[in-house]
Amino acid sequence: MSEVFTQQIEQFAADAKAKTSQPRKGETFVEVDQAKVREFISRLVNEAHVVHLSTMTGLDLDQNLGIIYHFTYGPGWVQVKTFVPKTAPTTKSIVDIIPGAILYEMEIHDMFGVTFEGNPWIDKKLLLPDNWPADLPPPLLKTSKPADIRKRLQLEAPHK
Amino acid sequence: MPRRRTGAAIPEMFRVMLEKPTTEAYPYKPIELTQRYRGKLDIDPAKCTGCQVCAMVCPAGVITMIELGTRKVGDRELPVRRPIFDLSTCISCGECVDSCAFNALELTKQFELATPDKKDLMMTKALPK
Amino acid sequence: MSNDQGKPTRREAPAGLIQYSVENLVPFGPIHPALKEPEYFKLVLEGERIVEVIPRIGYVHRGLEKAAEMRPWMQNMYMFERTCGICSFVHSLCYGQAVEGLTLFQTPRRAKYIRLIIAELERIHSHLLWVGLMGHWAGFDTLFMWVWNDREVVLDIVEAISGNRVHKSMNAFCGVRRDMPENMEDRTVERMKYIADRARFYREIIDTEETMLERTEHAGNKVSQETVEKLCAVGPMARYVGLRNDVRLNDPYAAYDEVPFDIVTRNEGDVLALLRLRLDEMVVSANLVSYAVKHLPDGPFRVLIPPVIPAGEHSSHCEAPRGEIFYYVKSGGDRIPERVKSRQPTMANLPTALEILKGQTLADIPVVLTAIDPCFGCMDRMSFLDTETNKQWTWSGEQLRQYGIRYYFPERFKK
Repeated sequence: MSEVFTQQIEQFAADAKAKTSQPRKGETFVEVDQAKVREFISRLVNEAHVVHLSTMTGLDLDQNLGIIYHFTYGPGWVQVKTFVPKTAPTTKSIVDIIPGAILYEMEIHDMFGVTFEGNPWIDKKLLLPDNWPADLPPPLLKTSKPADIRKRLQLEAPHK
Repeated sequence: MPRRRTGAAIPEMFRVMLEKPTTEAYPYKPIELTQRYRGKLDIDPAKCTGCQVCAMVCPAGVITMIELGTRKVGDRELPVRRPIFDLSTCISCGECVDSCAFNALELTKQFELATPDKKDLMMTKALPK
Repeated sequence: MSNDQGKPTRREAPAGLIQYSVENLVPFGPIHPALKEPEYFKLVLEGERIVEVIPRIGYVHRGLEKAAEMRPWMQNMYMFERTCGICSFVHSLCYGQAVEGLTLFQTPRRAKYIRLIIAELERIHSHLLWVGLMGHWAGFDTLFMWVWNDREVVLDIVEAISGNRVHKSMNAFCGVRRDMPENMEDRTVERMKYIADRARFYREIIDTEETMLERTEHAGNKVSQETVEKLCAVGPMARYVGLRNDVRLNDPYAAYDEVPFDIVTRNEGDVLALLRLRLDEMVVSANLVSYAVKHLPDGPFRVLIPPVIPAGEHSSHCEAPRGEIFYYVKSGGDRIPERVKSRQPTMANLPTALEILKGQTLADIPVVLTAIDPCFGCMDRMSFLDTETNKQWTWSGEQLRQYGIRYYFPERFKK
């Protein structure tokens, strides 16, 4: 069954002009262009019945921000990677295909600054405090230092 | 369909009344620890050579190496260091004990470490007098 | 609406996925010195019924993912072990498996069996704790006390193996840090038999006692299997509607492919089904521990690996007592990781929790929210808005619990 399944994934990837790789048995990485990722995911959910989204991860690569969708199907994963430029960090939300993705998108929005259009709760904060200054960069970028965050939020540790 | 019935807990009530209490009367009686219990860290200064592997593996930042000068070995000058321990941060994981090649470190069974002054928990006995 | 005995019944709310509506509520600080972990809900009510729940989490956010990018690989294992107190071993196990997948070393068989034993012991004590908490919120405090007595049996075994009761520090890359002590077999088998007997006793209590049945039968909005799948629920929250989702079965890790066991599912879809499911799982876990202790293979228990992990990306998942834990690790070929992502099961179950709260009464909130087994003591401060009378007020967790008990058992408070 998993051979047929792998061929199905390769077929979807070829249609979306995406690159696949299998570094280890059972784990498939698919790198998709940002414009085609929504269609790829809806084909994965509707035709291949891969419904369980384990989580979504944000990455800080030098020029881009990466978003990985981790889909679990029994004994393996399909990890769908897409990239968003740092100058225009916006992409479309998948909440209408998989409603369970709503909190993961809010978390990436808080921690990396990526906006997901179509997510009904995108203007609310999930994890950051209400008094987060608007000009402070999102915390999980490589350029954000914890010492700066502590100073701006006035959380200096007392001297020993 | 579950049926409601009173009295499923009554035999238990009698059993618990006749049993001895589970609560231990610590601190009025001593408490018994298992053989592998991990308490406060201790060092044997005679065995420590200052190789600083324990400082590199500690996950909690307990160990700091103090430079004490140099010594001559053959025709090279090698540094001499000894550790000091800030035991208020120690999590008793035992990584330093496992990684010491000279068996200088040991986890004792002492766990009553509460003190109003953090300086009581600085262990400096590995430094030479 | 009331049933034939004059007691209130729960209305079936229309099933629908999450929708966004009202918000004009004044938030109150959820930090309270007496409770475990704070969380905060805004509830929109219509008379007595809940219409909408809006969560706000992050009050104990410690920035572990950022801190992990500054520490060597092995030190991160101790940090991730301290994510949670009840499921701490599974966190370090999942991180360890994700990093081991990047190296070329194999874990010895004996280490896999020891990992299984400790993970199942943790599952038993976590489910026992949860049964006690359900008793506390439902008004049956004696059950809470009995359960705390039984947990000592499990924690004694854990202390004999690892040296500590909560943060066990047993995991290492490609192995475990300490071997099993000698002469553990007879003691462990006898205590697991005791635990299985106690689980059957608690099962009988929840099936017949009026207190538990009244509070938990038909509680929680009934949801279909498709809704639960689309909302990506994990663990018992997926198994109590009949889905066979269990990481130990679908993608075996540690030694689960070598020991015989079966998972537990139920069909009813209410909080009583969750109680039965977790108590049955305890019996399965006790049998697993007895089998593993008797069939422990010989051999080494650890393989030492170099401190530099090769470059690549890998992920790993495990079945914690609350659901599926997921870790993703990216390495740049250095001594410190480039990115570590950890996802706890409570976050995956939150959308489902919001869905099963709709249509419930105010008095049902503690029981239904605890039924998803959250890893935070969330009933700290809740702020309410009644749309019929336009009244706003706020309550603490203890006030809400007392309100619930008075609502269902008014005869206890008559003078």
